[in-house]
Amino acid sequence: MSTSGPGKKSLPAGVGSREEATLSRVAAGSSSPGPEALEGLRVLEFTAGMAGPWIGRLMAYYGAEVIRVESRKRPDVVRLYVPPRNPEAGVQEADSPWFSDWNAGKSFVSLDLTKPGAVEICKRLVSISDVVIENYSSGVIDKLGLGYERLRQSRSDLIMLSTSGYGDSGPCRSYVSWGPNIEALSGLAALSGFPGRECTMTQFAYPDSISALHGLFAVMCALDYRQRSGCGQYINMSQLETTASMVGDLLMERLINGREPLRRGNRAAHISPQGCYACRGEDRWCAISVNDERQWRALCRLIGHSEWIADARLSSVSGRARHCAEIDAAISAWTNGRDEYEAVESLQEAGVAAGVVQNVRDLLEKDQHLAERGFFEEIEHHRKGRVLVNGVDLGLTATPGRSGPGGSCMGHDNRYVLRDLLGMSDEEIAACVSSGAVEGEV
Amino acid sequence: MRRDNETALAGRRVLELTDEKGCYAGKLFADMGADVIKVEPLSGDPCRRIPPFASRGHGDSLYFLYMNSSKRGVTLNLEHRRGRDLLRGLVASADLILESFPAGYLRGLGLGYESLSAAAPALVMTSISGFGSYGIHSSWEVSDLVTSAMSGALYVTGEEQDPPVRSAGFQAYMSASLSAAAGSMIALYAAAMSGRGQYVDISVQESMAAVSHICGAGKFLDDGMVPRRRGSSLFASVPSGAYRCRDGLIYLMVNRPAHWQSLAAWVHEVTGNQEILDPMFEGPSSNRIEHRELLDIFIGEMCSRFSVEEFYRQGQGRHIAVAPVNDAAAVIADPQLQARGYFTRVRDGRACAAMLYPGAPYRHSLTPWRMSRRAPCLGEHNEEVFGRELGLSTAKIERLREDGAI
Repeated sequence: MSTSGPGKKSLPAGVGSREEATLSRVAAGSSSPGPEALEGLRVLEFTAGMAGPWIGRLMAYYGAEVIRVESRKRPDVVRLYVPPRNPEAGVQEADSPWFSDWNAGKSFVSLDLTKPGAVEICKRLVSISDVVIENYSSGVIDKLGLGYERLRQSRSDLIMLSTSGYGDSGPCRSYVSWGPNIEALSGLAALSGFPGRECTMTQFAYPDSISALHGLFAVMCALDYRQRSGCGQYINMSQLETTASMVGDLLMERLINGREPLRRGNRAAHISPQGCYACRGEDRWCAISVNDERQWRALCRLIGHSEWIADARLSSVSGRARHCAEIDAAISAWTNGRDEYEAVESLQEAGVAAGVVQNVRDLLEKDQHLAERGFFEEIEHHRKGRVLVNGVDLGLTATPGRSGPGGSCMGHDNRYVLRDLLGMSDEEIAACVSSGAVEGEV
Repeated sequence: MRRDNETALAGRRVLELTDEKGCYAGKLFADMGADVIKVEPLSGDPCRRIPPFASRGHGDSLYFLYMNSSKRGVTLNLEHRRGRDLLRGLVASADLILESFPAGYLRGLGLGYESLSAAAPALVMTSISGFGSYGIHSSWEVSDLVTSAMSGALYVTGEEQDPPVRSAGFQAYMSASLSAAAGSMIALYAAAMSGRGQYVDISVQESMAAVSHICGAGKFLDDGMVPRRRGSSLFASVPSGAYRCRDGLIYLMVNRPAHWQSLAAWVHEVTGNQEILDPMFEGPSSNRIEHRELLDIFIGEMCSRFSVEEFYRQGQGRHIAVAPVNDAAAVIADPQLQARGYFTRVRDGRACAAMLYPGAPYRHSLTPWRMSRRAPCLGEHNEEVFGRELGLSTAKIERLREDGAI
């Protein structure tokens, strides 16, 4: 397996403009690790699932201190994890690979937010925090007495992001949803896929991750504004709206032209041919896009159809789209007997856009390029040792970021948060434990 | 000090030299109030030629209109020495450059980060390329489909018996734009604190691998299973998937034990099914994984008795995560989006009616998202930017035009 250390981007010589990355790093004087981009910011999280936690995960990666408040009374569903290789062990609250990833680098405090003492602790935490992120069901945070209007009394320039499936207003604001529901609701599922299929969905709850990235951008915009104005603000986000924005160009076809967008499968209106072609072996494919006339001529030569170069029927995108069955058959005949990596190498050498349809094992074991770039991220887990996850890097070269330890058990950092950060005395803490405001041990 | 009607990014200037890979990143900045100047080649951004085209107004590419709202537009020939000089002039007042040329192209023209930032140490420059600025694939030919394929996202999308298939639109490029926008904002924040900008290197392949990481290395190394295409159901949630109602599809997903209990009780009420109440189905999804097919039959029997609308409202009334599988028309008519005023009217200003656009992805209480204008025509702001702002005379601009620099 090809892995890499946490030292992102500090990699052996390659091609391209790696020097730029290096120069930027040297300019920042990073022979010894300097401050990360978000160092000095503190973020308080009331989150579950992925769409909320991933924002904090990325902020922690870039140096912010992120404190996650949880309750045993209503645990994050990701904590209800039964390891598939050892189901007899039952629920393991810190062992989900997703939990480790989405909560790496955070501190964990366990509070029963239905208790006044716990709400008081939260307000004290808010008074020393810059940003609050919450994605509880709509209205819950207000009922707990932790809505923005309350919290800004503890911190006047607070930035608070609320994110939920449907947003904080409208007739459906309290509806239940997960990422995949939003994929259906936003149009993405019905507009995707081959023409004969009514509903095509990702296996990775796409609305969750793209909402988190929108949320991160929204928070950073608010921080940018705070730097100039001294003002905080409230941000509301609906996953339905962020996901609809990802297919905004397609919705325009209905809004402006009054027509339903076509389901195009792997085709595109301005690229032809384009598709996934079967290679040798089971479920092995290569993706090919002929972006322009130069690539078309190169493809014709490579697959032994040089006569098509002069064929007037095929000299335009629309012409090739009309004859795509004939062209696809010829490409498939060429790919069918070939190894997918060799096929892609030949295509790229000829100057045609092509890539292997890689699965996760391929990404880990065969993609030398990702290995060279140190894409995969190592996270230290308190029980499993080191675990490996997909990279979360947003490309910063001078302040490259790093993953802290993987998500721990609930209340793992109670002592640090209550005593070290808030300066609570042992007596105060003991009182909060016995009233049930603080859950578990300190 | 705060002024009324201020935008979050007022005063920030962004130069955008991108195609499909980065135009959504520029839009995110522009709609939050940054002055985004789209710098196009004389032949125009290739996105202007992506179909379909507006059947009303001026026949612009709908893709281009959507992706370039709130931006201004100038043309520059970077292959021309005077064109490059003009770009340097613009860089002097810019906070951020977004670019998506093939890796190394700008550096070859003497416009790499080290050169542009020499006189502007706080400058942030973000490159978006198919495979990143370095590495053995950095010079590969790319497309949205090719980068999706290499990221692992394509392999797991679609029906088991079909070839892998991508999601609608250009989602790999959209994801890269999102990573670029977030990464750039973090770099700008750091630059405001330290006075030092930096180079941000975005790979479309890596961005798409990041947003699809639920099927990524963490899961695979934990359970040893390579995720594959499995239609609309998710491997870890049972039940989950699209079910057929009388008049269309509904999506249903159970993740919490309490949601399962609500659903099982509902199925029992509607169909009289006793078996579904069996305690062995209760608890987390993992308890139901081996019974997935049977449970799908039970649920399918119930769904066929409802319309999509009935099932959606009644299911949500029972706190079960159900949602209609909406086409574009249904999204636009959706009462929730309507009630929140998601769709936004944009004036065209070219003697044609205002049009409705998809609107804000987030709502800031103090500095609201807004679309300040429609996408620019080719070179629409040449005079405004080169003349009024860079101080070139009309005669000079005319000469640059004759020389083929703008």
